[in-house]
Order: sequence, then C-alpha cells, then structure tokens
Amino acid sequence: MPSIFKRIVRPALIAASLTAAVAASANTTILNVSYDVTREFYKEFNPLFAAHWKKSTGETVTINQSHGGSSKQARSVIDGLAADVVTMNQALDIDILHTQANLIPADWATRLPHNSAPNSSTILFIVRKGNPKNIRDWSDLVKPGVSVILPNPKTSGNGRYSYLAAWGYALRQSGGDEAYARDFITKFFANVPVLDTGGRGATTTFAQRGIGDVLLTFENEVALTIRELGADSLEAIVPPSSIRADNPIVWVDQVVKKKGTEKVAKAYLEYLYSEEGQELAAKHYFRPVDPKVLARYPDRFRQLELFSVEEVAGSWTNAQKTHFADGGVFDQIYTRK
Amino acid sequence: MNVKFFSPAFRKALTAGAVLAGVISVSAQAPESEIEALREQIRQLDQKLRVLERKQELKDEQAAAAAKSGPKITTSDGRVEIASADGGTSLRLRGLVQGDFRAYNAANNPNDTFLLRRARLIFEGKFGKNYSYVVQPEFGGTIQILDAYVNAGFSDAIQVRVGKFKTPVGLEQLQSDPVAFFNERSVATGLTPNRDVGLQVYGDLLDKRLNYTLAVFNGVPDGGNNVTGATDFDNNKLFAARLFATPFANDKESPLNGLGFGVAAAISDFETASGRASGYRTDGQQTFFSYEADVAAVGQGLTVSPQAYFYRGPFGLLAEYVISSIEVQRGGLGRVADVKNHGYNLSVGYVLTGENSSYRGVTPSTVFNPSAGTWGAFEIVGRIAGVDIDDTVFGNNPLTRFADPNKSATEITTYGLGLNWYLSRSVRANFDFFHNEFKLAPGATPAANALISDSETSFISRLQLSF
Repeated sequence: MPSIFKRIVRPALIAASLTAAVAASANTTILNVSYDVTREFYKEFNPLFAAHWKKSTGETVTINQSHGGSSKQARSVIDGLAADVVTMNQALDIDILHTQANLIPADWATRLPHNSAPNSSTILFIVRKGNPKNIRDWSDLVKPGVSVILPNPKTSGNGRYSYLAAWGYALRQSGGDEAYARDFITKFFANVPVLDTGGRGATTTFAQRGIGDVLLTFENEVALTIRELGADSLEAIVPPSSIRADNPIVWVDQVVKKKGTEKVAKAYLEYLYSEEGQELAAKHYFRPVDPKVLARYPDRFRQLELFSVEEVAGSWTNAQKTHFADGGVFDQIYTRK
Repeated sequence: MNVKFFSPAFRKALTAGAVLAGVISVSAQAPESEIEALREQIRQLDQKLRVLERKQELKDEQAAAAAKSGPKITTSDGRVEIASADGGTSLRLRGLVQGDFRAYNAANNPNDTFLLRRARLIFEGKFGKNYSYVVQPEFGGTIQILDAYVNAGFSDAIQVRVGKFKTPVGLEQLQSDPVAFFNERSVATGLTPNRDVGLQVYGDLLDKRLNYTLAVFNGVPDGGNNVTGATDFDNNKLFAARLFATPFANDKESPLNGLGFGVAAAISDFETASGRASGYRTDGQQTFFSYEADVAAVGQGLTVSPQAYFYRGPFGLLAEYVISSIEVQRGGLGRVADVKNHGYNLSVGYVLTGENSSYRGVTPSTVFNPSAGTWGAFEIVGRIAGVDIDDTVFGNNPLTRFADPNKSATEITTYGLGLNWYLSRSVRANFDFFHNEFKLAPGATPAANALISDSETSFISRLQLSF
C-alpha cells in the first residue's frame, strides 16, 4: 500500500493540485467587438474594468478590442468572430445577432438598464469658422446654396441617424405630415454633393478636402474632429433639437457559454453603468445615462431637445424597412449626382 | 474621368484663369457687389472641382476595396489558383508530365523506348470551412481517374477522406511520385496495395508528432490499383491502419528533427480475387514473378510494413520492410497455400549542391540558367532493395503449382544508382541505372530468352514537369 501511494496516488495528488493552482491563476480573455469611433474610449475603459475585476474577484482579465464599421462588425460576429460582448451605436446591428444567427435572445435589450444603452450621443453640426452660411438649425440645411456633408445612410449608422434626425425634425415641424417630411428630406439630400460610405470618410471630405458648408456627425466626433483637424477653421453648432443615438451593448450568449466567460462579460457591461464608467463616457463626449454625471458637464453636453428613433419611425426595424432598405424612401428621393 | 485631370495644380490654374477673366471683364471701378458675385462664382467652381475630385477618390477607394473582396488569381511555378477573397473557396490547377527514355540489357531483350510515363492534370480545391477535394485524371499509360476524393477536416486531429486514393500502407507508395529518390519505386513497394475506393479517418496528434490513419477499402491486391473505381468483387473489406511518429519534428535544432518511423498494416478476407496480382516487377518495370492465371485468393490477406525515414540537411534515407501474406488456391480446387512474400527497400540520397532533402522532395536554391551561372540542384541517390517469394508457390507439377519456376524468380535483389538534376522547382531530370539479380526456384530451367535467366540492367532517364 505505501508503495502504491508513493508511486501513483501522491503524484496524482500533486498533479491535481498543480492543475487547480494553474486554473485558479488563469488569465481570462474576452473580446469586445465594437464600432469605429469607440476605440479611444474602450482603450481607457478596459484597464479600468480589469483593475476593478481584480480587486473584487482576485481574477485577472484581459480585454481585447476589435473596431470597424458597425454593420461590418456585426456581420463578422455572425460569421464566427468569437465576441464575448458587442457594443454598437444602434440596436439594428445587435438585433441581427438574434435574427440571423440566434447568438443572443430576442429580448436582449431588456437585460440591462436603459434598454441596454449605458450612454448615448446625438447628431450635431460642424461648420466653417465664423459660420459663413449662418447655419443654426435643421431648416438651414435645405436652403439653396448650402452644401451638406454626411455619410450614406444605407451604409453608415452615422448617416442613418443624421437622416432620421432631419426626418424627425420635419415631422415635428409639420405635426406629423409625412408628405412634408418627404419633401424636406428630398431638398435636404439635394444639397448633399457627395456621399461617403462611413462617418470617418465624411469627416475627411469636409475637414480635409474642404468640401461643403456643414458636416453632420455624432457629438463625440464633433469634439474630436475640431480638436484634431481644425480648431482654428471649424466650429460646432448645436441645433435646438436632434435625435438621441443610443449606444446599445450585449453579451453574446452562445459565445460566453462556450468559453465560460458569462460572469466576467456581464460584469464588464454592467461596469459601464457604474460611476467610473459613466464618468469615462462623459470624458469621451458620450452622454452618460446617469443624470448626476451628466449634470456635471453642462458645457460639454449642451441642452437640446432630443427625440428617439422610436418617436420618429416606431422602431429601428421599421426605420430600416421604410427608409433604408432597397427601394425605400431614401432610394426614391436620392438622385445620384 | 481621370483624377489627375482635376489635380490641385489644374484646379489652381483653372481658378486663376477664372479670376483673371473676372479681372479683365470687370473694370477697376466695378461695384463691390459684382466682385463679390465673382468671388462666389469662383468659390462654387472650386467646390465643384473639389467634389469631382473627391468622387473620383471614393471611386478609387471602392475599386480598391472591391479588388480586395473579389476573387484572386495567382500563378506560381506553373500552378494557377483561383481563390475567393477570404481563401475559403479555391481551385488550383496543377500538372505532372514525365517523359522517359529507357534502355535495357536483359535476357529477354526488350526494346529500348521512349515512354510517356505519367501525364496528369490535378485539380485541387477547397470549399466551405472544412472541405477540400482532389481530382486527378491520368492520361499516361492506362487512362483513368487516379485520385478523386473529398476531404473533411474537422481539426488537425480528425480528418475524413472519402473517394479513391492511396491505401495508407507503404511509405514509398505514399510518397508523391515526382519527389521520390528514383524515377521508379522499389520492388518492395510492389508488395503494398495502391489506390482504392474507400473511407479514411486520419489526423495529427501530440502537436503533430504522431500521425494516425484508419481506413476501409474495397480491397486491391499487392501493387494493385482500383483502376475504374469499380464496385467490390466480394463482400469483404480491406482494413488498413498506420501509425507514424515524428517525435522531433517540432525541435528544429535537434539532429533527429527529420526522423520519422512507424508501422502500417492492411488486412482483408478475399473470396474471389482471381489473378492475385498482375505480377511483381523489376526496377526496369518487367515482370519477374506472377502467379499462374487461375490462382485466386481464397482467404485472409495481410500486409505489414515497418517503415522509417531520416532527413538531415542534404542527406536523406528511406527504409521499409514489407511482409505480404495471402491464402491462395488454383481454380477453386486443391490445396490452399498460405503464401508469405517479403520485401525490403533502403534508399539514400545526398544533395550535392547543399539544399535540404526531405520526404516532400528537394527545393533547388537556384534555377538552371547558364547565362547567369546557375545550374539548379544536383542529388545523387542509391538504393538496394529486394523481394523474396515464398518457395511454397513453386513446384514442378504444372497442374498444382501456383507459379511457374521457369518464368518467375523466387528472389530478386536490386541495386540502383542515380543522379537527379533539379532545373527549377518544377522541372527535374533523372538518370537512373538499375541492376537486378534473380534467384531461381529449385529445379528451375528457364529458357535462354526468359527475363529471369540472367540479370537485368536498365537505364531509365526522365524529364519531368511537375507543378
């Protein structure tokens, strides 16, 4: 018996102990698949969460980031990119993870507060220094001689929000008259000389190629663009009203269950609602959902009337079907120049 | 519309021209409003040009993106490959042509001859995430579909192959024709089954240090091919298994990095396999042993082959031993003999120009280009091999023996010496001398013009295009 213990049981116990120790100290890695302009935000948020996770659980977590056009990123996840969490700028690019691949449940938006959107943005204007065309509101964008730059609504979330903001403005101005809104959006796009496929391209067209009088883009991009591309030649304009662009997030059930990362992935997303996460969002010009944190930045987040996609189009699904799908309103009113 | 037409220089020139035109047409006393209108016209013109430039830029970007996402056509060393942008779907066209000149010094005085030994088009492709295929028709000699299979690769450890392909037994048999040391395989390989129709599960284990193969086929005799992909001739199946280890393959610094060894076996029951083998052939591809025409396999056949190779730098060695046993009977009557034939092969090579030798061949570091002073790679090769036929098959009674001792030798020992010249990655010339010695069965008195009555010497040269 001692011999058997010495030769078999003891080595087995040692091996089991070593295995347990290795497992306990194992480094968990999760992947956050996000859209293009959140790169800087998550680069700062990830170490913040890793430190929080280490402190609260003793476990080490490494978060990898992947960024690109939102719809393209969603397609990559559907095609097999093993994202533990997906953080987007519109619900449409998360819904398809359910409708096309069943990676998440249909009610994903109800699992976290504020429809699973811990922060938001809105569409503002950037004009040339001194605002030579005196652009203040959406109605100024349809005036003759005003050149408007925005990305293609069929290929860009930024473009879709800008389109729906203009459409929503017209609906509100006319008391819900869709014919008026259609006429307004037709005139609006008559003033658009070129359509880029993405938000960054539109910024290049406006700020670097010197085309157009006004650029429509996300609030967080406005600050970045003026700071990096033209503090002395560009300025921001906050219209009286615009659309609220929620930034929805989700953990990918099929992936986290397979990888055993469900707990840390949920905690990662929940941490975006913490005061630290909300403060960091504000720092990067994303509007935090926490009103206390939002109130700390009155100069950064100017007061304007915000309306939602649901108020304008019922839902993202309806908006896609009515306006942006092939043969939709956009295809009908836009004349390729 | 060429983007250069709207280059910044052109735009400035055009703008300057417009300004000049404005200046000429407007007198110095022109009202400020007219000058302002001209300025606005110039601004609008400038904007239009910028927009045109940007549109062209976006078109170029879209064209570049489309080129990236579109299918790609690549060519290399004669190969042509069409692949989707992600590489997930592809079709590669390859080929193999071997033209020989053969000269003999043998008792049966065969004709010296030119020969189109092999002429193959090879279609290889991938589709889906895990699937690949090979279709390889042979136009040299017997026209046939040599290989036709689909491979499903679920992981490195589990791959499934279905179709017609090589039976996983002989080491030299499994090596690709164009990269073997000699232009004809050894007599020992004649004892192993060749291509057949079936299913195979295989994969790499232990970080690619151990390869396993399990397969089931209809069953072919020694050296035999299922030429037409025909249905089985009986209800029994041939089961083959092979384990091959390369324990130091991942240690590039180890002197044993190029060592591989293993064992393979195939077993089957045969009921009606008449004409057990088309015969065993010499290095010169002449038949030195064959069963009597009405001999049939009537029981268990078993082939076992321990095998190994070793490559280090320019040196290469390949060795295997084959035991092939089969129960045979003549004409369905009389005694059943359990025949055991043995074969061995020891081949070595050395690349004189220093390139590395490997189981997958030699890649020359230069190509044959006399004007540039480069000659490609040269390799010398040597081989000793033999086959020992079970003596029980011979006899003096023509009605009961299984092989005629006056036409078939009971043993052959072969010696080979050759020079391989790699003119490029795709072109190789071989010059091989083979000398085969025969041992006759007791009491044999072959005719003077029978092959086995004297030794056979052959010279087989080959020019090969393989891409």
